[in-house]
Amino acid sequence: MHTFNKLVFTALLLFVAGTSIAQTDTNEDVEELKLTALEALMSAPAERALPLVMKVLTGNSSDEVKERALFVLSQIDQPEAQTQLLEIARQGSGELRLEAIRMIGIGGEPAALSGLAELYKAGDGDVREAVLEAYLIADDSNAIFEIAANAASEEEFEGAVDMLAAMDARDELRKLRDQAGMSGSLIDAYAISGDFETLRELSMDSSNPELQEQAIEALGIVGGAEVNTALVEIYRSSDSPHVREAALDGLLIADHDDGLLELYQSSQDAAEKRELLEYLVMMDSDAIWEVIDSALDGER
Amino acid sequence: MHDEQLILYYYDDGLSDREKQQIEAALKDDVDLAARYERLRRRLAEFNESEVPPAPAHVVQRWHDSIDRVARMESNRLSKPGNPFSFMSFFWGAAITAALAIGIGIGVYLSGDSTVIPVLNETVADTESYREASIPAAFTRSLQVHLRDSQSEIARLPLDSDADRAHLMMEIIEQNRLFERAAERKNSPNFARVLRAFEPILVRLAAEDIAPEDVEALRAQLAFELNVMLTKLAREASEEPHTI
Repeated sequence: MHTFNKLVFTALLLFVAGTSIAQTDTNEDVEELKLTALEALMSAPAERALPLVMKVLTGNSSDEVKERALFVLSQIDQPEAQTQLLEIARQGSGELRLEAIRMIGIGGEPAALSGLAELYKAGDGDVREAVLEAYLIADDSNAIFEIAANAASEEEFEGAVDMLAAMDARDELRKLRDQAGMSGSLIDAYAISGDFETLRELSMDSSNPELQEQAIEALGIVGGAEVNTALVEIYRSSDSPHVREAALDGLLIADHDDGLLELYQSSQDAAEKRELLEYLVMMDSDAIWEVIDSALDGER
Repeated sequence: MHDEQLILYYYDDGLSDREKQQIEAALKDDVDLAARYERLRRRLAEFNESEVPPAPAHVVQRWHDSIDRVARMESNRLSKPGNPFSFMSFFWGAAITAALAIGIGIGVYLSGDSTVIPVLNETVADTESYREASIPAAFTRSLQVHLRDSQSEIARLPLDSDADRAHLMMEIIEQNRLFERAAERKNSPNFARVLRAFEPILVRLAAEDIAPEDVEALRAQLAFELNVMLTKLAREASEEPHTI
């Protein structure tokens, strides 16, 4: 079918859905018809689809139909479409507003994205969450860094940091360490983003024992051969029972039973051996049978 | 026969019925093996559980906290766009032909082949737009297959089993991430953003505590958005110049 014919057909569908069928059929059928028409709009040229979508958005359609229309609007390759989305994000309410924010993320247009910063500042929790998600969709880690760096509360900071972690935005997370200081949520973010180097550095820093232990355990979440070696080294080189225990927890989380077995076999201390054995039992390690066998034979 | 097998047999743990029957038969037939098992059995019986003292309460609490933390992080990791892709999971739930088509398309696409399909034929209005200039046809076709597969899998989403639904959604998420990365690499940021936008919905659908009406609503939303993207891809494909 030619584009023009498709457009006429779609426009007709939207018109019919809004008038005569509404009088004779159920609302559900009308809604279905509108949704089908909206889908079909994607096959029309952008400049012709845009006014039809705007007609749906400004008309009396249900919120569901309007939310779907927003998605179609986000896919119309016209700057005007992004301007309209930002306008709805500013002036709209409820779910429609949140959906418009999501669509700005999908559109990825820089001017519209920068307009979200203002909405974030003035918005409630839902709006803020939607803005963060929009930045995630647009892969705009710098915008989220700005939010984290200027956060007014720990909760706000955590929300932004969690999103940066999900984006693997290691550079921004490292910058936050310099700018906002160290915190538990940052350590979690380093773990989620797999930042071995930063966690290893923090695991050597004893200025805040609690954060040091958390960093050591977080290494276990990153996992991998480097982590396994580092955790065994941390355990061996530390005299602090807390640091050693955190290293064992890290090995448990990393599921590195070979490392624990190595520590068990090299230990000459009965109490330490008992503790290491407890961890091996907890890990349901295959190595446990070898250990039990040796223990029963009286070997050390 | 290894001691490990006999130990598992002793603890009645980790062996199939067939393996247990084989060990029983071997113990009946082989006197030496029976003697070895008897020695092992006595030693294991002597191994009183009290020799491994229960972990102190505060240690158990720490373990639980660690496990909870890891679980939370895994939940966050789920929404991370760049997670490693499990190759085997790619094939789950997809028709073999469709998977092959995707594989070939992606293979061609990620191979670093710098062949660029001619720029899309743009309408007057499109010349003012900021649409991606050149999306290779192989990627477009692969993406169409992926979106269609996702559409049909979501339409057949098992509603009676939370675990099955969660498993299926995880597989779709893995596939989605693959295509999102492919789109990023191949000059198609618009499609990358759309695929990234699908992920929070897919993650919500994977949740085991989601209400049936919410499943329906999210499924309808995804079905619509997938349809729109398929229509858009079809339009763009039809606008491509035909070359001999």
